[in-house]
Amino acid sequence: MPRASEIAESFRIAVSSVRANLMRSILTTSGIVVGIFFVVLMGVFIKGLDAVWEKTISIIGKDMIYVDKWDWAGGHSWRKAETRKDITFEQAEALCARLEAPELAMPLARRWGGSVMVGNKSMNCSVMGTTSLYGQTPAGEIESGRFFNPMEEQQGTNVTVIGYGVAKTFFPDGNAVGQTIKIKGFPFRIIGTIAKRGFLFMDFIDNQAFISLEAFKSVYGFQDRNFEVGIKAGNERMLDLVRDEAVGVMRQIRNVPPGAPDDFSVNEMKAFDSQAAAIRLGIWVVGIVLTALSFVVGAIGIMNIMFVSVTERTKEIGIRKAIGARRSSILMQFLLESSLLCIAGALIAIPLVQIVVFSIRFFLLNILEIEAIEAVSPLLPLDLLAIAIAVSIFVGLVAGIFPAIKAAFMNPVDALRFE
Amino acid sequence: MTSDAIIQIEHISRSYAMGDEVVRALRDVSVTIGKNEYIAIMGPSGSGKSTLMNMLGCLDTPSSGSYFFNGVDVRTLSDDELADIRNKEIGFVFQTFNLLPRASALKNVELPLIYAGLSADARRERAIEALTSVGLEARMSHKPNELSGGQRQRVAIARALVTRPSIILADEPTGNLDSKTGQEIMALFQQLWEQGNTVIVVTHEEDIARHTHRIVRLRDGLIESDEPNDAKSL
Ligand SMILES: Nc1ncnc2c1ncn2[C@@H]1O[C@H](COP(=O)(O)OP(=O)(O)OP(=O)(O)O)[C@@H](O)[C@H]1O
Ligand SMILES: [Mg+2]
Repeated sequence: MPRASEIAESFRIAVSSVRANLMRSILTTSGIVVGIFFVVLMGVFIKGLDAVWEKTISIIGKDMIYVDKWDWAGGHSWRKAETRKDITFEQAEALCARLEAPELAMPLARRWGGSVMVGNKSMNCSVMGTTSLYGQTPAGEIESGRFFNPMEEQQGTNVTVIGYGVAKTFFPDGNAVGQTIKIKGFPFRIIGTIAKRGFLFMDFIDNQAFISLEAFKSVYGFQDRNFEVGIKAGNERMLDLVRDEAVGVMRQIRNVPPGAPDDFSVNEMKAFDSQAAAIRLGIWVVGIVLTALSFVVGAIGIMNIMFVSVTERTKEIGIRKAIGARRSSILMQFLLESSLLCIAGALIAIPLVQIVVFSIRFFLLNILEIEAIEAVSPLLPLDLLAIAIAVSIFVGLVAGIFPAIKAAFMNPVDALRFE
Repeated sequence: MTSDAIIQIEHISRSYAMGDEVVRALRDVSVTIGKNEYIAIMGPSGSGKSTLMNMLGCLDTPSSGSYFFNGVDVRTLSDDELADIRNKEIGFVFQTFNLLPRASALKNVELPLIYAGLSADARRERAIEALTSVGLEARMSHKPNELSGGQRQRVAIARALVTRPSIILADEPTGNLDSKTGQEIMALFQQLWEQGNTVIVVTHEEDIARHTHRIVRLRDGLIESDEPNDAKSL
């Protein structure tokens, strides 16, 4: 066990050695700088993605499921879904009526790319026909005004609640409520606006207008239309139960023979989890490869310079051994030196990453106006800094171990003879 | 083995492999050295003096034969135990001083105490004491290249003394010094011996050997003679 005085001495030697060859040390450590840079940047990206993702799904509702002909997973399931029969209004209504477990269930009719106009300004937005219950889901959270009520729903009154994006496009001053908007030429009175819901790649959510199913029927008709059922389980623990019930009831309604696969899909926010996981994995793979490469290069550089350092100081090693330094002391001296080089690399890298993270965040937030980035802290998280330092120490130890062993096992007489 | 034998070597040899050739630096050397002896080791260049000294100083191990240090067989000691003996029991003084060039005189003298595990205050105190005893109290903050050869050797002697070892080994300590400075350095060894240390000095010069009480002469890796110094012995 090395003594405190030896550890302090090793540390002093290491510091003075790094300082004596400052330029060489800085150049040597550049591989580590790049490695640490990528490790931390990757960490920030993943953390940022998680934060934004978490925020997005909590806004849309973790306990929401959607029974639909289409599958959110896309890909090959899309082709399969194409052959399915539409879910009719009657089927959607029947499902809502027969479900017992969930808190809310409502039929949804959707018209993608509907044209809406205010004055002579127009935009494409999707128009959704639904019931007043939608106002009680997280996605229907009102910012100003109110959601339509059951009476307006029954009578098919021409009132609408518009999404954040629609309100912002037509009424940047925020006075949307009470104004009139034309949906496929029909005038609707705006009675409410919905708070900002869309984040990340879910921005389309804000570009919607909500009207009652009755009104939807008058504007677009129910013929040849596929309906969805939005179900709010009530809480996350209920999800499995509600999903099972919805599947069972829907199979009955659509007469799916026992053993045959469902001819509909049950979509949840979870479906996007796999996409988020894929992005995460992508960042990891790229990050790990870049990091590993730069660490290997960096470690070889450090190892090389440490061998040089050991050779340069052969005589010093001989002197220290002759006056009583143990192998462990010499070993520690050089391991400390290589670790110090790597820590110096981390200390150079950290402010660089901080600047890059700050700039990217600023760019996304203020230039591209991606507000979701607000969920990501501009400062590097402490645990990432700790990981960066730990990794750099580890690389330092790995890179330094062979030179240090060479030094520690030198024969003192041979070392003293070295010129 | 006499009870006050501090060093006892029996039939040791040391050879070096140089390619196909084997250089036999020491062939068969046996010496016993007691407490508070003052010994000169002499002999022509290449006769094995330094090889023997390195052996005695536990810097090197014999190819064959045995070495008892304070009654302990050195071959049974671990590397750490050898390091501790070099640190605490032996003070080694080299012909070329072997000081750390970037460290001050004080720091150089403190160095063995670092490996002995002393606190910073105790180290400083002991180092100042050692430097004072060699007359360098005014030069403590100087680096080796700011000191004369004689002063450097005094720093090296202070470093050898500072752990209060029982044996001082000096391999041609005056070899790089002029004769006047050499005499001053020898006076220091004389003083150390008077204080009860065992002192072993390698030298070429009869002048230097005159100070000692016993002269061991080597030739071709063998002891040619081992006699009391008539001029000095009691
Ligand atoms: N590390 C080594 N490798 C090979 N040969 C060596 C080594 N060390 C010493 N020798 C050889 O061993 C012999 C004795 O060397 P040593 O240094 O002990 O002589 P010395 O008596 O101290 O000579 P000098 O008076 O010149 O210092 C010499 O022939 C030398 O070449
Ligand atoms: Mg010699």
